[in-house]
Amino acid sequence: MPTASRVPAALGFFVFVLAPAAHASPHGLGHVSDVIETFRAFVVQQITQSPPKPKPATIAPAPGGPTVDLSDLSRPEAVERALRSAVPDPGPESRLTVTNGQARLGDFSIGSAETVTGHLLVLRGNANIYGHLLGNLVTVDGDVFVHPGGAVSGDILALHGDVRDQGGEIGGEVRTLSAPLAPAVPALSPLASFGRNVAGVAGVFLTLLALGVGLVTFARPNLEVVSDTVSHSFGRSFVTGLVGQILILPTFGMLIVGLILSVAGILLLPFAVVVYVLLAILGVVGGYLAVAHALGETYTRRRMAQGAALGSPNSYRYLLVGLSSLFVLWAAWCLFGWVPLAGEIVRGAAVLVTWLMATVGFGAALLSRAGVRESFAGRLIPPEALTDEYLWATPQFGVPAVRRPEAGPGARPGTRHDLGR
Amino acid sequence: MRAALVGVALVCWAGALRAQTMRPFTTFRQLHGETRLDARLEFVAGRLRVGPGRGTELYRMNLAYDADRFVPLSRYDAASGTALLGVEPVGGPGLRVVSRHQLQQDAEVELSPQTDLALAVSLGAVEADLDLGGLRLTELRLEAGASRSVVRFSRPNPIRCRTADISAGAAEVSILELGNSRCDRLRVEGGIGRMTLDFGGTWTGSQRAELSLAVTELRLQLPRKVGVRITMDRFLASFDPGGLIRRGNEWVTPGYDQAERHLDLALKTTVGGVRIDWTN
Repeated sequence: MPTASRVPAALGFFVFVLAPAAHASPHGLGHVSDVIETFRAFVVQQITQSPPKPKPATIAPAPGGPTVDLSDLSRPEAVERALRSAVPDPGPESRLTVTNGQARLGDFSIGSAETVTGHLLVLRGNANIYGHLLGNLVTVDGDVFVHPGGAVSGDILALHGDVRDQGGEIGGEVRTLSAPLAPAVPALSPLASFGRNVAGVAGVFLTLLALGVGLVTFARPNLEVVSDTVSHSFGRSFVTGLVGQILILPTFGMLIVGLILSVAGILLLPFAVVVYVLLAILGVVGGYLAVAHALGETYTRRRMAQGAALGSPNSYRYLLVGLSSLFVLWAAWCLFGWVPLAGEIVRGAAVLVTWLMATVGFGAALLSRAGVRESFAGRLIPPEALTDEYLWATPQFGVPAVRRPEAGPGARPGTRHDLGR
Repeated sequence: MRAALVGVALVCWAGALRAQTMRPFTTFRQLHGETRLDARLEFVAGRLRVGPGRGTELYRMNLAYDADRFVPLSRYDAASGTALLGVEPVGGPGLRVVSRHQLQQDAEVELSPQTDLALAVSLGAVEADLDLGGLRLTELRLEAGASRSVVRFSRPNPIRCRTADISAGAAEVSILELGNSRCDRLRVEGGIGRMTLDFGGTWTGSQRAELSLAVTELRLQLPRKVGVRITMDRFLASFDPGGLIRRGNEWVTPGYDQAERHLDLALKTTVGGVRIDWTN
């Protein structure tokens, strides 16, 4: 390699290696990294070959073909879209009609003695204006030079190019819309996306599980009442949860205003705010865990009713089974989240189901006053009334009742059938 | 085999997904003897800097915007002398969640120091630095949402400014060297946040300011050479009148009546604090 080539190559390599390191540095080096990035872009631009420009030619109008209107350049991205759609790959064979104007391919100049009337579109070339253009000027993949004595009466738009005002006169606005910069947030590969999603979902699952274990250990009666409220008053819980969500902020505002207006209450304001927020979080998270508990209990009881032998069917098991069921959709999102559209649909479904369950749980927590009130938990019969006879004759959750014996001489004395006679 | 091919195809498809992109956009307009400009800047998210520009241009904006969510705004109406610059969300206004990526948007706006300027700025989640020193400001209107904004008048305004209206939501707003602004009247409405009003600079006349604040910590930086009078209406707000003396319902500096220039402040504040610092 000759020395002349080696120097820029080494410089380019040095800058290429240094730039990412500078980006990773703290804010203090932000300007340094900007300078390095600019210099790197300059070096890359000098090294890489730009595509050859086409020979200057007129693009013939296309009767009945694609047409563009350049009279309004105030929305450059819309103009760019229209041009890309009308002429995807500009070449000598391209045909395009410019309303009240003309289109050119390659470099184009308006001489100092010339006056061009109408809008001008220059594709894949520079526009040099020495004379007068009475209209708007648009270039695609090219620069605009307005030389001394040159004049453009309308607007100028350079798409993926630059406008160099070298002393000419421009009557309208000048706009340049450059190509998008390198993505600041690179798209994740499917594997990285999968790993990130799995880590996120697993983290949330384990956190909820830990909270649930804590609830079962220290507040099992309350959790069971909320869980039973979910099972027995699902619709009512949902409506209550929905209304609760709507009212949560106005109630918060009223609480603050009330405390501010009462002279003594203002001292309690910081504590009240913290307690209110904590209660709201506890209501939603605890309610969600109660839904998981109810789901797991229902599933486990049904399995047992079908004769499955399950070891230790207790609240811990219910919670684990329920949470796992609720996270099935999130697991599906982990697997297919990177797939366009389908991933979004699965995520939307997971969000919707999670919100639904959290709303039901929140409502059940409100209805049962955090598991204190049993009115909606299907526990209308007091425990002392739960006789052997009642339990024997009443269908339990998921367990079909034993067929009642016919009333007759063989009926056991003391049973309801016997008493009713 | 078929499953493997499907897998490879899906991987390739996913690899072609478009990443978020920032896009540079520049606009300017040559100065053609215009004597006034009504400029409106709208910026939803990112960083905004405003300052005086070169003498040959009416305005210029250099912008890098999030092309997936925003489109640049650049319109000028020659008949009314009105310019609209900034970015607007794709699909029009509405409730949006601002991501960290959008906060990387960056705009630099330069305005002509040769034309009379009525400036209206509307900011969303923006970190703004507006240096209006040297501009021929006739009117200023600033609406700041959840922003951190600094408005400075680093050089005296060559002409008188009628009013400056500042409206801040959940924002941190600092207005520095207001003496240079030459605004006859300052109106400030503040929501939750922090506000600094520095009345330093070169005073060429008296000023009036009406401040209406709620849950805001206000810091007033007052020059000793100016006679200051504060009319206060406060509710659950602390106020340290250091250096001021009480006269009826108002607080004044000693020698207020003899001062050559006056600053009259009408201050309404609810739940907050007012602190005064004196500057020479």
